Amino acid sequence: MTNWTGTLSLDLENRKGKTVAKRVYFQGALKVMRPIYLDDSGQVCYYLLNPGGGYLDGDRYKMEFTADEGSKVTLTTQSATKVYKTPKSHAYQVTTIHLKKDSYLEYLPDPLIAYENAHYKQKNIVYMDRGATFLSTDILTPGWSPSGGKFSYDTIQLVTEIYVDGQLGVFDHIKLVPKQQSVSGLGFMEGYTHLGSMLVVSEYTNNALIDELYEVIQLEQSEFKAGISKLAVSGFSIRILANSTQVIERILNNCHKLISEKWLNRTPNSLRKY
Amino acid sequence: MTNNILSLFQLCDSNLPTGAFSHSFGLESYIQEDKVHDQETFFQWLKVYLHEQLVYTDGLASRFVYEALTEGNILEIWHLDRLLTVQNLPRETREGTQMIGDRMLKLTESLYELPILSQYRAEIKKKNAFGHPAIVFTMVAHGLGVEKQDTIRYHLYSSISSQIQNAVRAIPLGQTAGQKISHNFIPELNVAVDKILQLSKDDFGIVSPGIELSQMQHERVNIRIFMS
Repeated sequence: MTNWTGTLSLDLENRKGKTVAKRVYFQGALKVMRPIYLDDSGQVCYYLLNPGGGYLDGDRYKMEFTADEGSKVTLTTQSATKVYKTPKSHAYQVTTIHLKKDSYLEYLPDPLIAYENAHYKQKNIVYMDRGATFLSTDILTPGWSPSGGKFSYDTIQLVTEIYVDGQLGVFDHIKLVPKQQSVSGLGFMEGYTHLGSMLVVSEYTNNALIDELYEVIQLEQSEFKAGISKLAVSGFSIRILANSTQVIERILNNCHKLISEKWLNRTPNSLRKY
Repeated sequence: MTNNILSLFQLCDSNLPTGAFSHSFGLESYIQEDKVHDQETFFQWLKVYLHEQLVYTDGLASRFVYEALTEGNILEIWHLDRLLTVQNLPRETREGTQMIGDRMLKLTESLYELPILSQYRAEIKKKNAFGHPAIVFTMVAHGLGVEKQDTIRYHLYSSISSQIQNAVRAIPLGQTAGQKISHNFIPELNVAVDKILQLSKDDFGIVSPGIELSQMQHERVNIRIFMS
């Protein structure tokens, strides 16, 4: 199938300690902004955006990123991903990421907001060499409807597959179908409205870091519920349930800050634009 | 045929020494938070655990393994073993399941001379596979000539019945209450099997955020009677 609403591909390499794009290509309703260097670490930051302002019925988006040996990159979005109602066919986004040895890629998108009757499917596939580091976050909101009701979307489905040296090391599949499940209740959202996740695969992971992250998470003062656990490969996952995007962002930012300081020896700048 | 079903019942017995009785798969977190505290709240938890986790993982895997065995597609089984293991993000639950799978394999290898069980053992030794109770169970059931939907049904029954035994001890509930839950849960198992038969590969590994989070949180529970 070649009928993409938007495609984007970005290949990065390390040029004398500075990460630069080897190749940038985008077409249709996807765009990448000029590279930004937030400090002198050589790590590059790219803002991805959807000029259409939201995903519509039957939209299909494809993104591809490659990070060569030693390159370091932050990918983020310019604003929340909004999925409008999809009466005929679901909106779909597939992202493929290739990470070479000693590369570092973090994917920190804004929250996902699915509107009333929206059906969205997202697939992230990561192929990494042992020795590379991948970090990604996700925030699912209860969506938006004109009446103000929560969870009025049809379906949100997020699939993540991470292969390390060609072998599947992480498989994460979340599918929320509020009309078929008691989404807000026991076993699902436990009475909370927002779900946050962080997935990290890196050889640098150790128990001390996970304990420290656990402590950092507990510093949050608002009501929330969180869990952190080691993956089957070297890495960990965090899940957070809370009642606002801000609470989840705060917790994820604090975790991200600790990881950046430990692994990259840098304190990340705020990426948010509002 | 009837004898074969009886042989499979042996594997469904919650006294089967696989260590399954030491794992609550997150139930203990709910009990400590007082979210699960009686027959009714436990029944609710059990429903979510079955319909939103087991159906998409162990249950669906059991069906796919059975189909792979029928087609002689052994590579697919090792793929499912990996998928089942790596989708289980909470460490205690993942490692606990692996341990149960390993013990069940050891036990069934001593009871049956099924080549597929030795093959599974060899894959685990070579670190090409992890070991999972749903896969061992399905291999034995298929070897005994039990039908696909019954294999899935009995496997789900055995997982659910160990959880009921756990709840009786941990909440605690009376023995009669435990039996009532088992009895009233039978229709749920049938619904689950029907659903599993309708699902596709795309549905594999769907997790329910709360259930998964409770399994992660269990790692930080200080006073515990279960290993997960």
